[in-house]
Amino acid sequence: MSRAASFEAVRAKVAALEAGGAPVQAAMSFGDDRIDAVFPAGGLPLGCWHEVAGEGLEIETAAATAAFTATLARPLAGRGAVVWVMRRGDLYAPGLVGLGFPAERLIQVRVRDEIQALAALEDALGNAGVAAAIGEVEDVDLTAGRRLRLACERRGATGFVIRRRLFGGPSGGSSGGMTGNAAGGSAATTRWTVTAAPSDPERGGTGLGASRWRVSLTRCRGGRAGEWILEMNDGAYPLCVVAVMDDRQLEAPQSGRRVG
Amino acid sequence: MDAAAAALGLFAGQKATDAVALVPDLVLADADPAADAAALTALADWCARFSPAVAPDPPDGLFLDITGVAHLWGGEEAMAADLAARLARNGLPVRTAIAGVPAAAWALARFGEAGAVAPSAGEAERRLCSLPAAGLRLLPDEAAQIARLGLATIGTLAVLPRAQVTRRFGPGVLLRLDQVLGRVREALTYRRPPSSWFARLTFAEPISTPDDLTRATGNIARRLCARLEAEGRGGRRFELCFHRLDGAVHRLAVGLALPGRDAPTIARLLVPRLETVDPGFGVEVVTLAAEGVEPLSARQGRLDEARDIALEEGVAPLVDRLTNRLGEGAVWRAEAHPSHDPERAVRRRPPLSPPPAAGSGWDPERPRPLRLFRRPEPIEAMAPVPDDPPVFFRWRGVGHRVRRAEGPERLAEEWWRRPFDAAGPGRVRDYYRVEDEGGSRFWLFRDGLYAAAEPPKWWLHGLFG
Repeated sequence: MSRAASFEAVRAKVAALEAGGAPVQAAMSFGDDRIDAVFPAGGLPLGCWHEVAGEGLEIETAAATAAFTATLARPLAGRGAVVWVMRRGDLYAPGLVGLGFPAERLIQVRVRDEIQALAALEDALGNAGVAAAIGEVEDVDLTAGRRLRLACERRGATGFVIRRRLFGGPSGGSSGGMTGNAAGGSAATTRWTVTAAPSDPERGGTGLGASRWRVSLTRCRGGRAGEWILEMNDGAYPLCVVAVMDDRQLEAPQSGRRVG
Repeated sequence: MDAAAAALGLFAGQKATDAVALVPDLVLADADPAADAAALTALADWCARFSPAVAPDPPDGLFLDITGVAHLWGGEEAMAADLAARLARNGLPVRTAIAGVPAAAWALARFGEAGAVAPSAGEAERRLCSLPAAGLRLLPDEAAQIARLGLATIGTLAVLPRAQVTRRFGPGVLLRLDQVLGRVREALTYRRPPSSWFARLTFAEPISTPDDLTRATGNIARRLCARLEAEGRGGRRFELCFHRLDGAVHRLAVGLALPGRDAPTIARLLVPRLETVDPGFGVEVVTLAAEGVEPLSARQGRLDEARDIALEEGVAPLVDRLTNRLGEGAVWRAEAHPSHDPERAVRRRPPLSPPPAAGSGWDPERPRPLRLFRRPEPIEAMAPVPDDPPVFFRWRGVGHRVRRAEGPERLAEEWWRRPFDAAGPGRVRDYYRVEDEGGSRFWLFRDGLYAAAEPPKWWLHGLFG
């Protein structure tokens, strides 16, 4: 065997490790190359967990992040139950139905503290018949993150962690709240920052258009970062790309951004 | 009235002054019916070790339905003797009797020889006939009338023509007579629903270590589940009781989302909670009762029919684990409730209950927020008059300039749920869906109709994502 061939073999092994241990990963396509291209598997990786964070007031209310996550998880609801673990019971099912999410597939779990939330999330992800589990937690430390990943890999369920502080508290000044915390999410396969974006009703239309979010993918295992403006879509794919923002490297997004 | 008091010449119903005259150093205590009732209830719970069907009979009696249970003690006599011995050890004198019907047992226990066991209906009747008429649980005036006519025993009453008994003493006496002779059935009010799904483990040496408790839990679950399996049934609720040496009872209950009979699953749900059990000086009896028992094979016949069933079966263990760990009501599925009041439009249902027949029920034409605040939060809003959405509002100290708005959607209170006088046109909310410059969406409402005299109040009720 030549030196070059063994070098290639090692390189492939490293690539596989970087991609999260599983060389071929199931993925959910967004139906648009401009967003699919950043992921190693050509779509949102399944069988792992994703972290979604908000900015400003959203750290406490977690409305845009929850709406984005529910939209993202909508296609998964067809494959099994979806479990939503939360500490505050303010999730309103008619609103989920408005986003096209099937409420009859949703099991809501109310927990008292952070530890229970992570345990329930882990339990749900490792259970047969659960396609996705969504948890609202403040922070996921490295150990908890690894446990979540192992639970996801057991049955191929997909996890979403919405980072939400129970009571606003100090939002970390200008550092953009929780998104700057790099150590916490290192077990997550992807990390997203979501803020609301102004909608654009059709020409001459009055009222509000379809929901839009400014979404930045700040971390993606084995892939690239990216930033888009996405709009909710009723079709086969839950989201469609309205605009691609500047393609930046793995920098934490600057805060105080106003879109308007 | 115990033996010591009887020896001093005291009796129930004696006047307090007479009693003190007989026994000068008598300690008098007021009757406390509430405490007596509580003690009887505690005793009824204790008796669950003998049979799951225990009916308190205030003020001083207990009925135990021991149908199909006595063989565990090696016969009815042995069971009665064990019960009496255990209570005597705790300083509770007791009179027991076993008979085919509750009324006969009642009479025999109070007026027959102690520890009586009537093996057959004929034998019971023979013994009952010699008992005084008071053994019929009569009302005071009925008893007085019978005594006046010199009918001393149940036997003399039983041979009278039925029509005469009714005419002279009223229908109540005849009913009691029929009950005691087993001619009519008597319904008892059991402290907990009688269940024949009951297993019991007795230990020669009391156990107390966590390992032993865990092992006992596994064994008893296997024993009950083997019976459930043999009869093709599953239970929804399982109650494990630890009967301690000192008479205290510790209960642990677990519920299942779907009826089940898998012993390891049930034991797994119970074992994490064993640490809350304080074994004290040791546990001598462990019982496990299944409630909500229903046929299980019928469910499995539908496995191939639809994928939903398989899904349900897969999620059921998760729902069980979470419900038992987090408490009942912590795991639910939202279901539509026909109400236009946003707070009442959602009902929480058990996650695996069958879904409603027609659709989800929420009107898709009426957009609803993803986050609904339990209490609307006040906002300062500037709105043009009279029915326009605000152009600017301030919430939690942050100003929002409204860029787009939809509305109003007028929701009135459900006047039919209030007293007639309290209903009025004032309680109306005009909801608007607004988007600020940053794209955040809010669900606002103006409280009440627009009135020129006072500035309208604005509230924020929810957030769209």
